[in-house]
Amino acid sequence: MSPRSSFERALAELQQDILRMASLVEQAIYDSVQSLIRLDVAGAAQVIMSDEMIDELYLEIEDKCVKLIATQQPLARDLRVAITGIKILLSLERMADHAVDIARATMCLSGQPLTVKCLDYIPRMARLAQQMVKDGLDAYVNGDVQKAREMCALDDEVDYIFARVFRELVNSMREDPRTVMQSAYLLYVSRYLERIADHATNIGEAVIYLVTGERWELN
Amino acid sequence: MKLNFLQGVSWRPVVSYFFLMVIFFALLQLYAAKKLSVLGALLIILPLSVLLAWLLYRRVIGPLNEIIAAARDMARGNLDRELHLCTPDEIGELARSINEMARQLRETIAMITEEKNRVRAILNSMADGVIALDRDGRVLLVNPVVEEIFDLREEACLGKKILGVIRNYDLERLLSRTLESQNSTSEEIKILGAGSEPRFFRLQATPLKSCHGETGGVVVVLRDITERKKLEQMRTEFVANVSHELRTPLTSIKGFLETLLDGAIDDPGTSRHFLEIISQETERLTRLVDELLNLSKIEERRVVHRWQRVNLEDIISRVVSLFRPRAGEKSLTLILEVSRDLPAVYGDPDMLAQVLINLLDNAVKYTPPRGSITIRAMVRGDQLRVEVEDTGIGIPAESLPRVFERFYRVDKARSRELGGYGIGLAIVKHIIRAHGGKIDVQSTPGKGSLFFFTLPLAENVSG
Ligand SMILES: Nc1ncnc2c1ncn2[C@@H]1O[C@H](COP(=O)(O)OP(=O)(O)OP(=O)(O)O)[C@@H](O)[C@H]1O
Ligand SMILES: [Mg+2]
Repeated sequence: MSPRSSFERALAELQQDILRMASLVEQAIYDSVQSLIRLDVAGAAQVIMSDEMIDELYLEIEDKCVKLIATQQPLARDLRVAITGIKILLSLERMADHAVDIARATMCLSGQPLTVKCLDYIPRMARLAQQMVKDGLDAYVNGDVQKAREMCALDDEVDYIFARVFRELVNSMREDPRTVMQSAYLLYVSRYLERIADHATNIGEAVIYLVTGERWELN
Repeated sequence: MKLNFLQGVSWRPVVSYFFLMVIFFALLQLYAAKKLSVLGALLIILPLSVLLAWLLYRRVIGPLNEIIAAARDMARGNLDRELHLCTPDEIGELARSINEMARQLRETIAMITEEKNRVRAILNSMADGVIALDRDGRVLLVNPVVEEIFDLREEACLGKKILGVIRNYDLERLLSRTLESQNSTSEEIKILGAGSEPRFFRLQATPLKSCHGETGGVVVVLRDITERKKLEQMRTEFVANVSHELRTPLTSIKGFLETLLDGAIDDPGTSRHFLEIISQETERLTRLVDELLNLSKIEERRVVHRWQRVNLEDIISRVVSLFRPRAGEKSLTLILEVSRDLPAVYGDPDMLAQVLINLLDNAVKYTPPRGSITIRAMVRGDQLRVEVEDTGIGIPAESLPRVFERFYRVDKARSRELGGYGIGLAIVKHIIRAHGGKIDVQSTPGKGSLFFFTLPLAENVSG
């Protein structure tokens, strides 16, 4: 086996590892949103607990990646593959943290029924953000630059909804001081969702860079 | 033995060589006797060798070329080509064996194709999902159920690693574990598929042994157990809720009885008051148990449906007259808008009455004084549609999908105050389902609610 092919194999394995972590992160985001919508404390607690596993996996893969770069000293495209790997890992790890943040907010919100109205915006935002994460990862798997570029539009929509949620929540705080706590938490939640969407676009950018070698700003 | 050997020899080449030799000797003889010059010999030899070359070409090289072309063609997969060389010599023999080989191959391939189609047909008609991976963990095959669950196309995933196709941590782990250990494994996992709701699957992964007995790939069967999971969860919640609901009145009965036994019984005023409360709580308990029995009977479909033609108009007017006094107490207006000549439906009259009773009970309960309740019945397409609309407190949007669940109450405190257990609508839904109909609700909080259900018309129901 030539050193070349062993390196290529290591890169392929790296991609598998990243996708494995991605599967956990997607699940965590989904579960955090579901437990928020249902105010399901047990579900939220599970998300928070499962983050430990994601963190471990993250460190493990990052280690592998660094070792790969240090020992093989890849050049040109190979270097790009390794570096994008690290970038995507980082985005995934951040997303997982935001999922945990949402779960924490859910823990605080549960206990009393939600009286704030904007709750139907948040699931919509969540759906979009989840779609973006999925698109970004699909683009990564298939090296699909087109798909990565298309994520722009979704990100704009998320930003737009975020602005609206913000306005509505602030209004509801003003109108009914009793909802301040709830509104504040929901504000956090929508901010986290918006951040998750941003990280998804980062993945999209990384894919574009990986395939074409150009840098491209999606947002 | 000797004859056999001679049969295998084709005479033509032998004869022609012999002939050539004779001529050669003749020429040599003539040349030696100085009867022939070199030029003369050449003149005789040349046409003869041309003739011979032509013969060789016709008889040997031409047919061989044809055979080579045919063999190449076959290698490329075209087995339908047949060689038409019927000469009785070796070359003819070769052509015949090649034809025979092609025929055999054709048959084998047809058999394999048929076998493959059969396996495909079985895979395609299975209700379970099937994924097969090769030894390196690359996708060999997925069936349509899998395509549907994960919203993907088979062509797009062949030859890819499973994580590149389906990003599910548990699925990937189960598959690689099976690939490594070569033992069957099974597990229940949650999958975020194409839909918005997660689905639950029971996975059964089995290693594939290749025909030489070496380790091969793995095949996994995915059985959808979402419904079962939901039922399980509902049952757990149900039991928890029932215990809670039974406990509350019992605690209160027990408390008042103890107070009575402790001496309160000697004070006629207090004891009467306590006994009244106990009687009320007992009433609640009885009602709860009745409704529970009712519900479980309907769920188990043990109720003997008294299937018959039912005139819903009669039932509606009967039920509405039951509610008139109660509505009057709250100054609620009851409006009836029933189309004339309402066609009949098939069903159990008592159960259908129960539906209307539960809906009207809610409407009266959850509408503040001086409101109105409208009952409509009409034909819509091939369905009968009944609506109960009120101008009551309404139901918030997030509760709408849940009001038909057992024990769900929007405002627990308020419903309890009104004596509700959150069972009424669950019963309604079961009855309507058992009758092949549908029920739904629209509502604006603060404005009112509209419950409506449909039933198939009797003329469309066979039996
Ligand atoms: N017409 C209505 N207007 C407003 N809310 C309603 C109406 N009908 C039902 N609901 C809400 O749906 C919940 C479930 O109704 P359901 O009939 O199943 O239970 P319930 O009326 O509370 O108790 P039960 O019927 O068992 O005595 C109610 O608690 C109430 O909050
Ligand atoms: Mg009721």
